Amino acid sequence: MNKDDKEAVLFKPVEKTGRGFYLVVAGLVLILAWAAYAYSRQIVDGLDVTGLNRPVYWGLYITNFVFFIGISHAGTLVSAILRVFGAEWRRPITRAAEAITVFALVLGTGNIMIDMGRPDRLLNIIRYGRFQSPLVWDVTSLTVYLTASLTYLYLPLIPDLAILRDRPGLSPWRRWLYTKLSIGWQGTEEQKHRLERLIGIMAVLIIPIAVSVHTVVSWVFAMTVQPMWHSTIFGPYFVIGAIFSGIATLIIVMVILRRAFNLYAYITDQHFSNLGLLLMIFAFLWAYFTFSEYLTEFYGNEPAGMRVLFAKLVEEFSLMFWAMWLFNFILPFILLSNRRTRTVTGTVVTSILVNVGMWLERYNIVVPTLTRPRLPSPITSYTPTWVEWSVLVGSFAVFAMLYVLFSKLFPIVSIWEVREGEEIAAGGVVAGHHAEAGAD
Amino acid sequence: MKISRRDFIKVSSLGAVATSLGTLAKQSFTQVVPGERDLPYTQQWVSTICLMCPGGCGVLVRTINGRAVKIDGNPLHPVNTGKVCPKANAALQVLYDPDRLTGPMVQKGERGSDGWETISWDEAIQLVAERLADIRVNPGPQAMAFMSGRVRGQMGGLIDRFLAAYGSPNHIRHDSLSIDGERIGNELTIGHREQLAYDWDNCNYVLSFGRAFLEASRPTVRQIRGFSAMRRDRPNRRAKFVQIDTRFSITAAKADEWVPIRTGTDGALALGIAHILIAEQLYDRRFVSEHTHGFEDWTDENGVAHEGFRSMVLREYHPVQVESITGVSADTIIRLAREFANAQPGVACGGRGAVMQTNGVFNWMAIQALNALVGSIEVPGGALVQNRPPYTPWPDLPADTVADAGLAMARFDGAGTREYPLAHSVYQDLPERMLAGEPYPLGALFIYYTNPLFSSPDVNRFYEAIQKVPFVVSFSPFLDDSSAYADLILPDHSFLERLQDDEIEPSLGYAVLGLRQPVVAPLFDTRDTGDVLIQIARAMGGSMEAAFPWSDFSQVIQNRLSGLWAFESGSIRATEFSHFWEELISQSVWSDPPYAFGQWGRVFNTPSGKFEFFSQKLFAQLDKLRGEQAWGEWLAELGIDASGDMAFMPHYEPPRYIGRESEYPFFLNTYKLMTHAEGRGANTPWLQEKLGMHVKKSWDAWVEINPEVAERLGIEDDDWVWIESPIGKIKLRAVLYPGARPDTLNIPFEQGHKHYGRWAKERGENPNWVVASESDQLSGIAAWFSTRVKIYKA
Amino acid sequence: MPHWGMVIDLDRCVACQACSAACRAENNVSFAGPEETALGRAIYWQEVLAEVDGEYPNVRGTFIPRPCMHCENPPCVRVCPVGATYQNEEGLVLQRYERCIGCRYCMVACPYAVRYFNWRAPEWAEGMERYQNPDVPIRPKGVVEKCTFCTHRLPVPACNQACPGNARFFGDLEDPDSVVSQLARSPRAFRLLEDLGTEPKVYYLREGA
Repeated sequence: MNKDDKEAVLFKPVEKTGRGFYLVVAGLVLILAWAAYAYSRQIVDGLDVTGLNRPVYWGLYITNFVFFIGISHAGTLVSAILRVFGAEWRRPITRAAEAITVFALVLGTGNIMIDMGRPDRLLNIIRYGRFQSPLVWDVTSLTVYLTASLTYLYLPLIPDLAILRDRPGLSPWRRWLYTKLSIGWQGTEEQKHRLERLIGIMAVLIIPIAVSVHTVVSWVFAMTVQPMWHSTIFGPYFVIGAIFSGIATLIIVMVILRRAFNLYAYITDQHFSNLGLLLMIFAFLWAYFTFSEYLTEFYGNEPAGMRVLFAKLVEEFSLMFWAMWLFNFILPFILLSNRRTRTVTGTVVTSILVNVGMWLERYNIVVPTLTRPRLPSPITSYTPTWVEWSVLVGSFAVFAMLYVLFSKLFPIVSIWEVREGEEIAAGGVVAGHHAEAGAD
Repeated sequence: MKISRRDFIKVSSLGAVATSLGTLAKQSFTQVVPGERDLPYTQQWVSTICLMCPGGCGVLVRTINGRAVKIDGNPLHPVNTGKVCPKANAALQVLYDPDRLTGPMVQKGERGSDGWETISWDEAIQLVAERLADIRVNPGPQAMAFMSGRVRGQMGGLIDRFLAAYGSPNHIRHDSLSIDGERIGNELTIGHREQLAYDWDNCNYVLSFGRAFLEASRPTVRQIRGFSAMRRDRPNRRAKFVQIDTRFSITAAKADEWVPIRTGTDGALALGIAHILIAEQLYDRRFVSEHTHGFEDWTDENGVAHEGFRSMVLREYHPVQVESITGVSADTIIRLAREFANAQPGVACGGRGAVMQTNGVFNWMAIQALNALVGSIEVPGGALVQNRPPYTPWPDLPADTVADAGLAMARFDGAGTREYPLAHSVYQDLPERMLAGEPYPLGALFIYYTNPLFSSPDVNRFYEAIQKVPFVVSFSPFLDDSSAYADLILPDHSFLERLQDDEIEPSLGYAVLGLRQPVVAPLFDTRDTGDVLIQIARAMGGSMEAAFPWSDFSQVIQNRLSGLWAFESGSIRATEFSHFWEELISQSVWSDPPYAFGQWGRVFNTPSGKFEFFSQKLFAQLDKLRGEQAWGEWLAELGIDASGDMAFMPHYEPPRYIGRESEYPFFLNTYKLMTHAEGRGANTPWLQEKLGMHVKKSWDAWVEINPEVAERLGIEDDDWVWIESPIGKIKLRAVLYPGARPDTLNIPFEQGHKHYGRWAKERGENPNWVVASESDQLSGIAAWFSTRVKIYKA
Repeated sequence: MPHWGMVIDLDRCVACQACSAACRAENNVSFAGPEETALGRAIYWQEVLAEVDGEYPNVRGTFIPRPCMHCENPPCVRVCPVGATYQNEEGLVLQRYERCIGCRYCMVACPYAVRYFNWRAPEWAEGMERYQNPDVPIRPKGVVEKCTFCTHRLPVPACNQACPGNARFFGDLEDPDSVVSQLARSPRAFRLLEDLGTEPKVYYLREGA
């Protein structure tokens, strides 16, 4: 197979639009319309349409927020860490991962805005922002992360935009779009050198930014004095959990892309194997942190905390709690440690379980604490309503929609990086590049 | 009704009072909703008397541009001294209830249907006058009955006068559902058919027998103040409060000791305590010898020997015997007696729990006997007899033969006859009589400030019975359970729109009279019922008109209260009555402190001039009605177990119950909450929203059941359950409540209206659907706690 | 400048809820209605907390009127992202309704659960808006509200004024001779959740002798 034939699959989603695309988009539009309707009810009637109450002031929306910010760490891990450590197998999947990051961040911040009682006053955070509030840290670090991620998505996109710009048979608006966005990239040595430097800097910078993001998200909870929130372990716990769910999301996205766009030549079984290994490592890390949390609480025996602990372990949240353990650790361990089940399918199934489990984990952090206030309360339960569930489903639909549109406009596999990798593998030396770890 | 300018408060005098309550400093406060709030407004503080309950608290109502916005206490009123209970502010929601009636209504369709049409006042009054005139001729004026409930001030006398002029003996007051047991007990022992006042501020020990001291017994705000004073106002002296109650109420929770007693046995407990007081010589010998009659064995003027209270108690009520009756241990009884005696002045008081039983009067007498034994009557810290304001007497009625003939007929409810010898009204007996047409059929029924189709035991019977009365008129400002079944509604003002005097319930001892006045102009085309009665009388002409030589009710009040002015004593004095009246309007209260202790002649209005352990009044009344019948038979007919002298002394009568224990294992206790306003509060969302704080329930009714018993029956918290009695069943949510006796179920009274506005309607259940109508034969009081029930999961 | 504090004597308090009712009337807190109350949306700036526990016949009832604690170290103020919740010079923790973005972080952070949210626009049944108090703003949908110690009518909050048990006191905690200061020094005095370091300015006096 010659190179052009092989690469054809990379261009196909951008250049040809089949029936599948329209069907998927139509389906997503329907879901989005429903979700929009649900949210419109909330705009009109207020947060009354949710199941939130006193004392459960936060529920599904905040859970979603933490969850989506969590999976946004997919991009960071793959793109930045693997790039910094020179793992060549990252090349076909970096852009997919970076796209996950950006879109997940959009959904994360979107859910926060949906949770606000007065979204019309959003700018107050800028006008009157008080830096002692963990929410302002949140806003700051999310803004920085989103900006950085967008940059980190865009920079490596430039050469591909140039490639597209130069393709024959483009529609005028596309040519215009690619020309504008590729900002005059010609692939000169100097440009390549500058780009590699910038990407390299971003890769290094974005790691601490990403770590800070989910740390800061965890501090929204940890900086209060509420039982089972006020924990010093929350920062690292949330970051580990984020990377964990990020990897799982990446695996799921990859298998869908591979199937939809016939990318078997680029996204290989080896990718799934590597990521599956990472997934298992993080499953252990997650289990370690979670176990530490609960053991510490149990031994502390402090009444307010114990009430929350038992709510999770044996009372109304126990089903969710033990399902979380099953999905995040027990089943992944079984599936991924056994050679017979450590297949692509097995890895993907595990990833789905992990994502469900991690969503449950966020819910299990947010809600039980609120149902057990220190002072007596007549209400101690929370049942999300159709509006909240619709927003959750709608969030996934938005995510999918953004993804579908992105892969319609831009190649989801980074063409130039893959080419570069093939050249390096063939032993050639590309001017200005070093075929060893630490580059780019 | 036009309010004369005089009747409105002038800001200046009350303004001073108002600002002394606290500066209304308006800080610059960011307004979110602009509009009226940014404009200067006209503010007035109008003083009046609250009527969410008959406590009679003086209140100051803040009005902004003529609308009432807040209710604070009036510091000048001695009952509440500037404080209010939660019901006070809910009065705003009574005034502005969106479901209030806007004017007279006539029922054009079937009774109880939606066929209401508006009618003008003139037409309505004409209608009533004509109907009454007809009935007066045929079958006669006795066929008109007037049911009244929350009657305040001169309204009682006005209604009495109306009926007397008309010729009907049937003013049926609701007191047999309420406080008659205490009154009759006091009549028998001290000769005053009134509740007692108490000097709480100087009291050191309270034995409260089923008195909802901090929740519903009136005047509650006064009692709460007194409770607080007894606890902490006297350095180094903190009163002990003992709540003897069949349920762990709020009062029991705040008391120093809760004595869980078997329902209906309070009299026995009191007598057990009396036993120790006597046996251990702890009683006040001087007081007993000087101011009581019948303590030692005695001989009457006919030479008949009578056993004394002392020997009877010593024989019959040893603590060990009492323990088996009441469930209270003998040790506790002995200890309470000793504490009570040693902590004088102390008071034994009681309430609905002890009195609204088939043995209620004797229970009350037993409780009072304790006060007599320790000398806690008419002394500081003890029980007092309330002084009354010196009203100008009503003018004589014009002579009228038709009226005389009617008044000579027997009362419709059998009060004062062999059926209910001591009763003045037997409200709960009406349905049976209405259904049977005995002793005669009724031609008209007037309903004022009472809700028989809600508040009666066996309320279902009333729904049936009311259909037997051809003409039913209600004065209710609301379409409530009863007015919904009327033919004509002549809506009264809400109490915030009304001019009315309000003599306080017995409490402070010295005379206190409040004056209720309109705080806003009437919102709707309603009329003061006092005015309406006068107008009806006028419209009837003849002797009716002659009996009411006043232009309106305000005149009646002024006339009667002129006696207070003429008295020239008390907190308001003036040379001219008009100045007196203005001052009274301004302050809203007149009082005549201090209480003069030691007025033995006034206080003991009995044949002996003393507290009577042996009630000669009871003996005389029963003897009069006995005729030739043997005493034993006569007493048995009255449901009295005791015989001989014991029957006329405080003693324990075993209570009667409806329903066999084997089938209906539980006693039913219907109790009152602080947030309940005599059933009238159910249409106020604020009271509904905080109704059952102690069980975290609101906007609902419930039944409290002992948790262990619930577990045995498989009932969990918040389960739907049926409460069934021999007469009916209702469905409620169960609340597992450790303060419930294992043998008793507790249901609060307030919910379950079938009408009465959007917030009251169809909410919760009214326990009266399962409470059987059982009365004490002697006194005619409704025995609310006589119904046994069973409970099971729905 | 006074530093306001409150003392509630639990030996005088009889849990009648006059305080809660007066507060609602004074501060334009509408009622939520049965369905909303069942959903946990009723607003009580001042609420009486009740616990009845034990086993018959050894039952105990604890009733604690709970306004906002107006903590000296308020966790709510610390977490508000826009400064809608703030502490003024008199020590009161207040709310700028026009700035609040409804994130409810302050509610989540408050260990006493004294904060309430307008899950929907407050409703007054027809005609009942007539008893609104013009001195207190009506809060719109989507913002947080709570007890203000009746800052618009100091020095007597509505709850204190109503209390028939004379159980509530209010005054300047920085004046050592004020009633509240003296009572706060009483051996019977305690505060709720004292070990959390919030330094609440509402003191309670224990029941009993």
